[in-house]
Amino acid sequence: MALTITCPICGKRNGYEFKFGGEEKGPRPDEKDLTPEAWCEYVHMNKCVAGVQEEWWFHKDGCGSWFKIHRDTTTNLEKEVKDENRVQKAKSGGQK
Amino acid sequence: MFLKSKPMWGKKTKLKTSYDMVIIGGGLHSLATAYFLAKEHGITDIAIIEKNYIGFGGAGRNTAIVRANQRTQYNVPLYKEALDLWPVLTKDLDYNLMFNNCGNLNLMHSEAAMKAARMTIATAQFHGVESHLIDAKEAKELVPALNISEDITFPIHGAMFHPPGGVVRHDAVVWGLARGAAKKGVEIHQQTEALDIGTQNGRVASVTTNRGKINTKQVLISAGGYSAALIYDMMGIKLPISVLTIQAMVTQPLKPVLDHVVSSGAYHCYANQTLKGEIATGAHMDPWPNYTTLNTAHYIKHQAEALSEFLPCLRGVRFMRIWGGLADMTPDMAPIMDGNEQVEGFFMDCGWGYFGFKSCSAVGKYMAQFMATDQCPDMLKPFALNRYQEHRLMGETAALVNYSPDN
Amino acid sequence: MMNRFNHLPTLKIDTTKKLAFIYKGKKHYGVEGDTVASALFANKVRIFGRSLKYHRPRGLYSLDGECSNTCMEVDGIPNVRCENTLLKDGMVIKEQNVKGSAEKDYLGFLDKMDWMMPAGFYYNVMHKPAKVWPIAMKQIRKAAGLGKISPDYEMPGKFDEIFLNTDVCVIGGGPSGMTAALCAAQKGLRVILMESRPWLGGFFEYRSGEYKDGQNLHERAQDLAKEVAAQDNIRVFTHTSAVGTYNNNLVTGFQIGKKEDVFDERYLEIRAKSVVAAAGCIERPLIFDHNERPGVMQIGCALRMAKTYGQLPGKKAVFSIGHDLGLEAALELHDLGLTIACITDIREDGQDADLLRKIEDKKIPFLKGWVATKAHGAKIVKKISISSLDGQVSKTLDCDLIVASAGMTPVTGHITVAQGTLKYDNHTGFFLPDKMPEKMHAAGRILGLNDPLSIEASGKLAGLQAAFDCENCSIQEIGEAKKALESLPGPVRGSKLVTAPVKGRKSFICFDEDATIKNIKQAIEKGFDVPELIKRFTATGLGPGQGGIPGHNLPLYVAKYQALSDISIRPTNVRPPLVPTLISTYAGVNHKMFKITPMDEMQKKDGGVFRNIGVWQRARYFSNDFTCRKEIENVRNNVGMLDGSTLGKFRIHGPDALNALQRVFVSDMTKVKQGRVKYSAMCNDDGCVIDDGIVVKQGENDYYFTTSSGRAGQTVEWIRYHARYDGWDFALVNLTDSLGVINLSGPNARKVLEKIVDIDLSNEAFGFSEYKTFDIQDTVPVRAMRLGFVGELSYELHVPSSYMKSVWLMLREAGKEFNIQNFGVEAQNVLRMEKCHIILGQESEQRTNLLDVGLGFLWDRKKSDAKTVGAVALHQAEGDQTRLKLVGFKTQNNSRAPRDGALVVDDKVRGYICTARDSFSLNEAVGMALVEAELSKIGTRLEIYEDECGDDRIYGKVVAMPFYDPEGKRMKM
Repeated sequence: MALTITCPICGKRNGYEFKFGGEEKGPRPDEKDLTPEAWCEYVHMNKCVAGVQEEWWFHKDGCGSWFKIHRDTTTNLEKEVKDENRVQKAKSGGQK
Repeated sequence: MFLKSKPMWGKKTKLKTSYDMVIIGGGLHSLATAYFLAKEHGITDIAIIEKNYIGFGGAGRNTAIVRANQRTQYNVPLYKEALDLWPVLTKDLDYNLMFNNCGNLNLMHSEAAMKAARMTIATAQFHGVESHLIDAKEAKELVPALNISEDITFPIHGAMFHPPGGVVRHDAVVWGLARGAAKKGVEIHQQTEALDIGTQNGRVASVTTNRGKINTKQVLISAGGYSAALIYDMMGIKLPISVLTIQAMVTQPLKPVLDHVVSSGAYHCYANQTLKGEIATGAHMDPWPNYTTLNTAHYIKHQAEALSEFLPCLRGVRFMRIWGGLADMTPDMAPIMDGNEQVEGFFMDCGWGYFGFKSCSAVGKYMAQFMATDQCPDMLKPFALNRYQEHRLMGETAALVNYSPDN
Repeated sequence: MMNRFNHLPTLKIDTTKKLAFIYKGKKHYGVEGDTVASALFANKVRIFGRSLKYHRPRGLYSLDGECSNTCMEVDGIPNVRCENTLLKDGMVIKEQNVKGSAEKDYLGFLDKMDWMMPAGFYYNVMHKPAKVWPIAMKQIRKAAGLGKISPDYEMPGKFDEIFLNTDVCVIGGGPSGMTAALCAAQKGLRVILMESRPWLGGFFEYRSGEYKDGQNLHERAQDLAKEVAAQDNIRVFTHTSAVGTYNNNLVTGFQIGKKEDVFDERYLEIRAKSVVAAAGCIERPLIFDHNERPGVMQIGCALRMAKTYGQLPGKKAVFSIGHDLGLEAALELHDLGLTIACITDIREDGQDADLLRKIEDKKIPFLKGWVATKAHGAKIVKKISISSLDGQVSKTLDCDLIVASAGMTPVTGHITVAQGTLKYDNHTGFFLPDKMPEKMHAAGRILGLNDPLSIEASGKLAGLQAAFDCENCSIQEIGEAKKALESLPGPVRGSKLVTAPVKGRKSFICFDEDATIKNIKQAIEKGFDVPELIKRFTATGLGPGQGGIPGHNLPLYVAKYQALSDISIRPTNVRPPLVPTLISTYAGVNHKMFKITPMDEMQKKDGGVFRNIGVWQRARYFSNDFTCRKEIENVRNNVGMLDGSTLGKFRIHGPDALNALQRVFVSDMTKVKQGRVKYSAMCNDDGCVIDDGIVVKQGENDYYFTTSSGRAGQTVEWIRYHARYDGWDFALVNLTDSLGVINLSGPNARKVLEKIVDIDLSNEAFGFSEYKTFDIQDTVPVRAMRLGFVGELSYELHVPSSYMKSVWLMLREAGKEFNIQNFGVEAQNVLRMEKCHIILGQESEQRTNLLDVGLGFLWDRKKSDAKTVGAVALHQAEGDQTRLKLVGFKTQNNSRAPRDGALVVDDKVRGYICTARDSFSLNEAVGMALVEAELSKIGTRLEIYEDECGDDRIYGKVVAMPFYDPEGKRMKM
């Protein structure tokens, strides 16, 4: 494989410029009444999907932003998902 | 001498509608568990369900290194037993597993690494496993090809020498265990895909496959890199696992030049010479989850850069073949073995990362005991899934694991 | 040396230029343009080496290095493919895997022992009794392996690497590859063309058959090559093998340097927008008894020996072929003077009529539906048996050359390793491309084409398709090119025969591993029913030739043996590198990459002993006394300087800067006051400490903070990760490399610093834990902090990197009267240990949380709205009494300090020593350890187990921390 990742700001680049940042799990849960089980699920547990998953990447050797892509874990190819605010989100560190 | 010989793991049979136990995955942990269930507990009504062929996954893709120099007191005894079992299995299975206990040499490149090694060695010695800290000169005596000059990226300070470790022929273990299990009545169903696990009143009741439904009360998923996806898919249980591709490669075969397994954390590289003469080498993973088992250009180049520094004579040798396998990594680099906890009758044995081969013999024995008695053996207790909830990660790695943003 | 042709237009040798080489210790001569193999052949060498298992004699076979037959040791390098390696003056060439010589090998008898070695036999023997195995293993190791390398071998030569970007990358410089390259280039695209031979031309280069209108194929190849050379936007790499292709169109390869190049070999990594795979075909070996005896060779080998290297491959030949190229070669070689005893063609019909007529004209005996069954001759071919396909009629002929080939097989490795799929095609008998990888196109003989015009037309189509990928070509043009291709002859019918009618005990399917047809049958009987498994069990295709020889035949044979239908015939996996590649070539230039601080040179001059610490090179010691006694005592009693430039340094500013800090630091960061230094820590979501450092407020919404050296690289990533859902507005600047750090420590530190700054340094004006900025001599802006890491009066000065040296020299000058000295990282380590200041990674491991190391006081429990990273886990783990806790200890009975990493034990492991030293300052052995909570009470006796201690133990006692200056008077003075 020769992974490429499309950074919203820098464009399509060699995958080794990036760092994988985990499956998309949503924002940090509220701490009130949070059980150890729920917290563990948020922090550690993965679905390990064999197929397309939404996931975070960090452009470490580039612009230094976090962003999400959809990628097929069985082919290592990105799936294009239309999102007009992708650039804006990456600039503000993810989601706004 | 062209004797008509029998198929080693029995003739292809029809899948029955009911078994005492079903094991999903036809790799080493499954085969070993089935073998020990049959041998030590007399349970033989077992179906092993393998989507591809036995040994398709990690069982046939690892670099066959065995050792018992893990870091913590929970892991060392397990791996020690696994190591002790190779000669026993060779005899019991009457199959030459080609155990070459040539010893492992783990290079250390800094004072901090020497300290870390000292702890590991003390733990090993405390548990009766032979392991010694040696200096660079002694390492060079053991491995004359080693470059101990200061003039490399990571100069060698010393090494952890673990004489009882070595290499076992991985394919032989697959075939030997399969033959051993089949002889005792275990059915191995290749080209058979498990699709779902059915539960009734909170306990396991059946397994659905592409060749029909099987009624059973106990199911083990030990499907290597595919376990986490299967377990989530069939049982809805999420695991703290990231499935990464790990690559290995061999050079063209050479006359003996390397008598030990040599590895280096700093270079992310290990090398040993197979009985065929190839230098088998590999180490780190591409740090993003995927199920491709594909290799990368980046990696083979990295290996070459590493080898050409600490084993410089290999600069004159050619790489011949690279391949990839899956490593199901956990945040604490220790496996998950659990059963009857999430669902009655459901057992799992996964998260082995790249330690699946060296552990399979002992784990087969203890998982078999677990499934046969429904009691978790003490040896396996520290590996239960709930340790993550309790913030009691295993400590198999001193440094932070850096393939997920957890750290 | 035999006479060489010197007037053929296709020759690549210059017979007027002699090259000398040493073979078996004697001087021999070749000519310029020779490969090692063709030079040896010209010197009448027929047996090049011996096979792996049975030590069978082996010789020339494919001339493209598809098997290990002609692997030799050249200039000390083992396993050199002689057929692909150009001869150089002075080369030293040796045989491999022989006891004696290749000609007379004392292990040759092993060939008769094959009955003892059925497939996988080693799994069933040599383990009973167990003590036999180690002895047997030694013998196996000695016997195995081709080629030798000495442990102290130093590889000569220059190796380079280049990383290229291009629009189109074409693999294969034959007619279709050249046409594709030209076509894409004419569209204005940048093209890279890779060809593994030293020249372009491929399948046309060495042939005299007609191309079109009286022009022959060789001339056409020359014309195309000229056109390619004239096209500025095609970059041609000859003598360059493409060894890896990856999805997203990454291609890797290696190039052999020419005389004038600055490298001997060079690694290439090419990122293309589109790839054309046009690597053509190799020949599918014909399997019969002794089908690899020296004197048996493939068509291309025999023909190219004559036409490229100017020598006849034998005197009297029998052909056993299944492809028109065989007929063509026979005619050409006949005209060049080779006697042809007979041509047997495994095809019953379908031969080119023109070729048949010529064969008849020249009165060459010709048999359709016949095949070679056995090569005779103990070491080299003397005779051949041939028979009808059903084996009913046979005869034996004298010959010294057998040209044998079952047909063609396409080189599809570049497609499959990039995840393309193949499908068995009944017409050609090939595995043809089925699903191509995205933006990769196949051209030429890979598609089963054989007609010269079709081959070129397919190249044109592929070139246009590649241009289309680069958005430089219209659908219409592609449509027209497709039509043009369809109007030309399509794929030719291929022969299906896998083996001659023989039992197969000596019929080799894989030369490298000495695997026979009989071995394959044995494996199938044992239950190995898939080619991939048979490969593993018999090692077929796992040798140096990468499966080039058995790759096609194995699945065909397995299917035939199991009577499978076409559909389930599946090719075996091919894996990179597609051609064996030197480790030194992959490694390329192999730079060392470390960061150095601005003080690097000066500290080296001062006698610093450097170590790699993380990404940095740092001075760990300043003498060969690694206990650092002098350095330590100087800091405790006088004043020392440490280069702390590796410390992570960051500025965070903007409206949400505070929010971000609150998220990642455990303390309440609203309490950071201007002019004060705040020490805090970061945890991960398990509550484990990952970093610590200080934070200062520089202004409104503007903070400056430090991290540990090892974490600096991840800090931006970390903070932004944990703020990724919040949409906060803050800027984070990594100042690590722009600022250096000088740590000035010791009771005389104030006196030294006073001499170079003009601000009031009195304890009242600049007290402990305070922060100040000022300029030195109105020029150098300095951030200064009063910290106490080493436990003495100490100033940490953060100075712009470019001024570091100046400030350092000023301090040294100022400190001269006190005899100021350097101290290094190890001295600092001991100094801070005496103060029980922790270093993460040393007093913590992956699973150690903030509370375990006694830093709980940093944690503000009330800021739950901040969702501080780690807080949830700390709450949950707070009551857990089974965790490891950090304790201080002293040894008992004046015992020395245990070594770092020693264990704390009773009947099991209860903890371990983090750092312990014989303290010069305290005159006793002290240290810190992580132990189970129940051992953490003051006064508890610790039993310490060191490696190699046997029954000896060191005992320690848990004591209060810190050990040195518990009230902290010295750092606050």
